[in-house]
Amino acid sequence: MSPSPLSRLQTSRRGLLAAGGALAATGLAGCGASGRKDVTFYQSKREIFDHIKTLLAELDAAQPQYRYVHDVASNLSAGFARRNPPDVALQNYNLEMSRFRERGGLSDLSDMEEASRIRDDIKDLADWYPPYPGRTSVLPWSVAGAAVIYNRAIFDEHGLSVPTTWSEFTALCTELQDAGVTPIYGTFADAWTLNQGMFDYTLGGMIDVRTFYEQVTEIGEEVGPGAEHSFSKDWQEPIARMLELLPFHQDDAPARTYNEGNTAMANGEAAMLLQGPWALPEIAKAETGAEMGMFPLPVTEDPADLKIRVNIDLALWIPEAADQPEGARELVKFFMQPEVQDTYNVDFLYLGTTKDAPPATDPRIVEMQSYYDEARYYMGASQFIPNTIPWANYLQAIVFGEKPETMLARLDSDWASLAYRA
Amino acid sequence: MSETTSTPPRASTPQRSSAPPPKESPNSPKIDPIYYFFLFPALLAFTLAITVPAIVGFGYSFTNSIGFGDWEFTGIRNYIAVFRDEGIVGAYLFTLGFALVTVIITNAIAFFLALGLTSRIRFQRTLRTVFVLPMVISGIIIAYVFKFLFSNTVPAIAQTLGIDALSQSILANENLAWIALVIVHAWSTIPPALLIYIAGLVTVPEEVYEAASIDGASPASKLWHITLPLVSGYVVINTILGFKGYLNAYDIVVGLTDGGPGVATRTVAMSIIRGFEGGDFGYQMANAAVFFVISIVIAVLQLRLTRGKASFGS
Repeated sequence: MSPSPLSRLQTSRRGLLAAGGALAATGLAGCGASGRKDVTFYQSKREIFDHIKTLLAELDAAQPQYRYVHDVASNLSAGFARRNPPDVALQNYNLEMSRFRERGGLSDLSDMEEASRIRDDIKDLADWYPPYPGRTSVLPWSVAGAAVIYNRAIFDEHGLSVPTTWSEFTALCTELQDAGVTPIYGTFADAWTLNQGMFDYTLGGMIDVRTFYEQVTEIGEEVGPGAEHSFSKDWQEPIARMLELLPFHQDDAPARTYNEGNTAMANGEAAMLLQGPWALPEIAKAETGAEMGMFPLPVTEDPADLKIRVNIDLALWIPEAADQPEGARELVKFFMQPEVQDTYNVDFLYLGTTKDAPPATDPRIVEMQSYYDEARYYMGASQFIPNTIPWANYLQAIVFGEKPETMLARLDSDWASLAYRA
Repeated sequence: MSETTSTPPRASTPQRSSAPPPKESPNSPKIDPIYYFFLFPALLAFTLAITVPAIVGFGYSFTNSIGFGDWEFTGIRNYIAVFRDEGIVGAYLFTLGFALVTVIITNAIAFFLALGLTSRIRFQRTLRTVFVLPMVISGIIIAYVFKFLFSNTVPAIAQTLGIDALSQSILANENLAWIALVIVHAWSTIPPALLIYIAGLVTVPEEVYEAASIDGASPASKLWHITLPLVSGYVVINTILGFKGYLNAYDIVVGLTDGGPGVATRTVAMSIIRGFEGGDFGYQMANAAVFFVISIVIAVLQLRLTRGKASFGS
């Protein structure tokens, strides 16, 4: 037997060990050298990682006590379940997140001066989801104002102005179609875009989303055909209106995805896209110079009904079980400084949450500000259905031709079943 | 056939003649403790990572837990809700049908490919490598590549050729999307099945075929009466492993159709995982328990149906 394979194996093993040792050494050096305490900061929004990195470096340099570790991918549920959540987070605030708050997982920040600077109506926005009584545990940091994104050049070229009623809107679409322009670019293959766009916009424009969910939550197990309020009953009309939008989309909409929609808008392949401000930087990436604007989708004949869809893009919170609550509060203070918060909102096209936040000036979202300031907004109706009910898929089925009654009845029974086993 | 199973193994393990006769009764021969030592780490890992969590999870299926925080016992409510849930029942039917079709198609193709790749052909090694390559690509990547092909390339080709039926993506068609799932799953799972069939086919001794040729058997009857019976054990392995794999289909489904269009291709595994993400922990635990029982029943049925008929070569 030749000894060479064995000896080669040994060398490589030694090499591995050495490499491992070196890695461990660097790791240790990174964490212990300065005697700072590590504060885990959870932030998983990919598009802003570079920005966050710069901010954390600034914060590290500004104080000697803490070192902030950017956690981008831990499982939050598992963290809370093991009583080992991050120390602080700047994260999208939605129904899934609100569970941690509802069960008392997030600490009270009402004594912080920063909390009092947030607009009351925006603080209340977080309470559309189940709150924890007596606590201000979520500080909204940026709000996304979503509506219809439109290509200004195409509108100008056809002498169109922003519509304010449903009939103006349909007339505009027909005019574009007659001129051979696709009015709305559909990305139906990504079911979430249907939820976010045509569904939330129509529902939000026609019903009071918050009241509706209070009603069906109250009715609970009894939600169904006989109930005073149900998805089948209250959503029937808005869904019918939503379906009237379908003929204004391009033919291959069922097979197109979110990214393709952004590219198509950049290339002027359609006049409008039902998306949020997060799509605007993506559209700009194509560098076609196409200028965009936004307006709320009119779904009634009364311009006073116009509203935009908002959601809490990012919010700050500190878990009760944080190991470093003081270090966490330092981070909250740092992020709540106007130069940090307002800069983010300006750069990334979101709306400010503080009473003194400057209004949006970017031409792409400038039209959103007045609606936002006048509280003419709603949170998307799709955002109150738990993930366990595949509503986005039901909606996609409706858009692809399934009878709305069938899918809405199924939503009713899913909702009732959820209440039954709660 | 049954007579092949009774064939004693040709090379029986050599007796350790030098070892002294065991002191204990002959029914409990002394086993070297080193074997337990070998088994222990795996057993420990399996117990801690699979068995214990599964039992804990089963316990949670009788609660309204959302995965953390307080919970209450709700008895069998979750189980009642599972059987009443139209969506879950639909997911079970879809998953079972999908698994059945895919296992048949995959095994048929893998078997015939294996026949080809074990015969005396040119570039045999190169071809074997080529056919096994899909195995090394992760499911989610395969799904994204095929999503692009189905949404863009196939419709473009169909339009050029004037085939109307395929000019729209089949992923956007509720009645056809499952075919895309079968194709992609077959594409990515034929290689492991193929490897097992190749391993099986090379165990069939050449003399059997020679004898059959002398008796004047046609290639088809050789395949049907000799090859298939002799490798039937491998067919059983592939069917059981394949079926189990397709029942748990998740990554390719998520990447390719995400359960859509609508709920047309929603699998059970997907419903369970999505429910977890949505804080529906107790309920999805009940769902997982039901799914576990169904999977076990299917595996036992498969073994029962094939018992005594499986052969692993000569």
